[in-house]
Amino acid sequence: MKKLILYAVVGGIAFVIGYFVNDQFFSDRAPVQPINFSHKIHAGDNQIPCQYCHIYAERSRVSGVPNVKRCMGCHQIIKTDSPEIQKVASYWDKKEPIPWVKVYNLPDHVYFPHKRHVRAGVDCKNCHGDVASMARIEKVSSLQMGWCLSCHTKREVKNGHDCWTCHK
Amino acid sequence: MKRRDFLKFIGIGGVGAGAGFVLGKVSKPPGAKLIPYLIPPEDIIPGVATWYASVCTLCGAGCGTLVRVMEGRAKKVEGNPGHPINRGGLCALGQSSVQALYNPDRITKPLKRKGPRGSGEYAEITWDEALKTLAANLIELKSKNESEKFHLLTSPLGGTIDRLAGEFVSAFGSSNYSHYGLFQRKNLAFANLSTMGTASIPHYDIENTKYLLSFGADFSSTWVSPVNYSNGYGKMRQGTGERGKLVQVEPRLSLTGANADEWVPAKPGTEALLALAIANTIVEKGLARDASAWRGVLSRYKAKDMASICDVPVERIEAMAVEFARTRPSLAIAGDSVSSYENGISGAIAVNILNQVAGNIGVIGGVMPNGDDLGNGKKIDFGRKISTLISAANADKIKTLIVYGANPVFTTPKAARLEEALSKVPFIASFSSFMDETTAHADIILPAHTSLEDWGDDFPDPGVAAPVASIIQPVVSPVFETKSLGDIFIELARAVGGNVAGKITAPNFAEYLKASWKGLYSRNREMAAGTLGFEDFWNKALQRGGWWGPSRKMTATVSARAGEHLTGAPARFEGEEAQYPFYLIPYAQTAYMDGRGANLPWLQELPDPMTSVVWGTWVEINPKTAASLGLKEGDMVNIESPFGKISAPVYLYPGIRPDTVAVPIGQGHSHYGRYAKGRGANPIEILPYKEDPLSGEAALNSTRVRITRGATGERLVKMEGSTKEFGRGIVQTVSPSEFKRMKKEVV
Repeated sequence: MKKLILYAVVGGIAFVIGYFVNDQFFSDRAPVQPINFSHKIHAGDNQIPCQYCHIYAERSRVSGVPNVKRCMGCHQIIKTDSPEIQKVASYWDKKEPIPWVKVYNLPDHVYFPHKRHVRAGVDCKNCHGDVASMARIEKVSSLQMGWCLSCHTKREVKNGHDCWTCHK
Repeated sequence: MKRRDFLKFIGIGGVGAGAGFVLGKVSKPPGAKLIPYLIPPEDIIPGVATWYASVCTLCGAGCGTLVRVMEGRAKKVEGNPGHPINRGGLCALGQSSVQALYNPDRITKPLKRKGPRGSGEYAEITWDEALKTLAANLIELKSKNESEKFHLLTSPLGGTIDRLAGEFVSAFGSSNYSHYGLFQRKNLAFANLSTMGTASIPHYDIENTKYLLSFGADFSSTWVSPVNYSNGYGKMRQGTGERGKLVQVEPRLSLTGANADEWVPAKPGTEALLALAIANTIVEKGLARDASAWRGVLSRYKAKDMASICDVPVERIEAMAVEFARTRPSLAIAGDSVSSYENGISGAIAVNILNQVAGNIGVIGGVMPNGDDLGNGKKIDFGRKISTLISAANADKIKTLIVYGANPVFTTPKAARLEEALSKVPFIASFSSFMDETTAHADIILPAHTSLEDWGDDFPDPGVAAPVASIIQPVVSPVFETKSLGDIFIELARAVGGNVAGKITAPNFAEYLKASWKGLYSRNREMAAGTLGFEDFWNKALQRGGWWGPSRKMTATVSARAGEHLTGAPARFEGEEAQYPFYLIPYAQTAYMDGRGANLPWLQELPDPMTSVVWGTWVEINPKTAASLGLKEGDMVNIESPFGKISAPVYLYPGIRPDTVAVPIGQGHSHYGRYAKGRGANPIEILPYKEDPLSGEAALNSTRVRITRGATGERLVKMEGSTKEFGRGIVQTVSPSEFKRMKKEVV
């Protein structure tokens, strides 16, 4: 009996370790996207401001994935010979949205408004890293509660430690 | 440690870590995608809600709503604070209208019957085919000169859609367009027609009254316009000025009764006599304000004679009479315990006479007639009854029947033999969005939108003694392949052709509605005030939810001719007392109403306010009666009338007369979706069919029953543990007089 409990404890600990190993080292931080889109070219080399494409960041909870019309606004003319742009154009011709793969994900029980953070003057870089140098977008923050709170503490956010500020 | 054990640990550790790793892998959102808009809609910001003003159509009250829409999906419905009917409130039924929109049991496409009638077996067809099939049927009818054999039966529609439907039927050459609803309050409307000259329900100014005598009107949960009345009631109790008093006369304590200062459980069927006895006492004591026409009639109803008939002590009748006449203003309202009997018209007239004698008509805090419905109110045609439809069907006078919104198969007693009559109708079409019991008899179904997807308007009746016109606007794109009800009529008219198409020329219902409002606008000078033409008015009305004008004070007198409808006898109940010892009171339950709410899970899981029962039917029996029958709570019993038998579990309810049992209406569906079907029992099934020859309303309180122990079956599921406090003083009470004293001390 005693041995059985011991086995269960060892198995349990191993289970938890396995779970976290997967979570920390094997999750895809920079998944392959349907279009080989480079933030480096757009935000870095050409200095396009973030909110030119992520149009809702200042007005809504979500920053907004650029709509296909926005892409085609420029790429009807620019770089039409590139095979990646031709992929975008083919989505547009088929009248289909581009199925981007999500990189930053928060669970449903967290209320995170982009609007509040952008309006408070938090730079996009603070959470999303140096996007301007990324050829493929990569997750740079853990998005865990401790990480949120450390910033709320540093910036002395009003009610920044209140449960209901984020869990409502 | 032995080598063997070490290997075992390694093994277990490996398996555990592997399992954890795999779980971590699979528990991640599988390839979560970010799907952008192709072209972003200009008026949508993802994550930011848009609120649209509309009207709730789940009952006939016409409460204004605000619907929260995000990314094109309706998420929440709230009351419109600016709307004069509900002033920001909304009942459980209205809150659940999103569940009607997204209901998994909605009819998503036009259907054609496959199996035998009533089997519910249907095949999907296209809209084109559906409209062509129905039109072909109608064209054939017309070519045979049998236009009169076309009938349209709908729920009590009002406003523009009612006019369009009427136009369709009359252009086709038929005169058979009727409305049907279980709670149309036709007796009350007829009584008001014969006493005050308008076939409508007046505005009961509960807000400003100081003594409210309600004859079984459960106005805080289901009666007529519950949100409006509840709001008024709150102000009457806790607004400015002195707290008003509420006295409820009814055999079964309703939610409103539970809120009352006094409960008068008069004998079922005699409440109208009690009203007349109160009126007579007022006259006899010289407290009457207007009794000239009534002195003679009322002298027959002496309090001392009525006391034993009504089972209310004579002192109590006298005390009520004095208080009713002396408290200014006072108000009596004729609810179900006078108007739901076979002589319901008489009962409602009795209450009108009581109001007239006490001088309550046309005064603030009394009965305020609604004179102005902008010419668009719900017209009640007393000649159109379900019995007329049944006899026409039996005499082969109906060849084609179109049904929308009404569910008479569920809400008429088996004794009416409606289903048998429907089987003789060669072709039935339904425009319903749900497979209710009546729609299940249809040969073809052309599903209409729910109110959150459709255009429309509403002219609430009863209003608030001021003109009110509200607009129903689509707040979301249609979820399924359904069509606007108005568009179905318009497209059908086009398909039928001839003078029907010639009469109905609007391209779609949205245009038809707007043109109708343009007419309303040009006729009504108050509407034009402060607007820059019709477009400006229309946009503002859409934003606000409609248009409402200033209050108009109307008055009326109770015509002495009304006395001819007074029966002066208690209402009869079917069944001999010896065989069937209990009066049966079927009542409208807060959530299900006439059964329409039973397919919405939120309403099923909403505990009944008095019993806390969920997901089922129960029968309320006085604990003393139950003890004498040897029954305890939860026991399954058969409730048997001369017309049939249903079974339900017992709920011990001290708020009911020992000689009465009550069963809520609304469950016991044989169709109507997964949440409603096969749950509980329908008390209407075992009623006699006693339709009033004048008003056409069928009496609900009309039979006696006997209770016998039944087979074990359904469980009684309720939220409350016990109704008793066991001396723990959980609810602390203080009497009104004591409270008044305390208040004085504080001040």
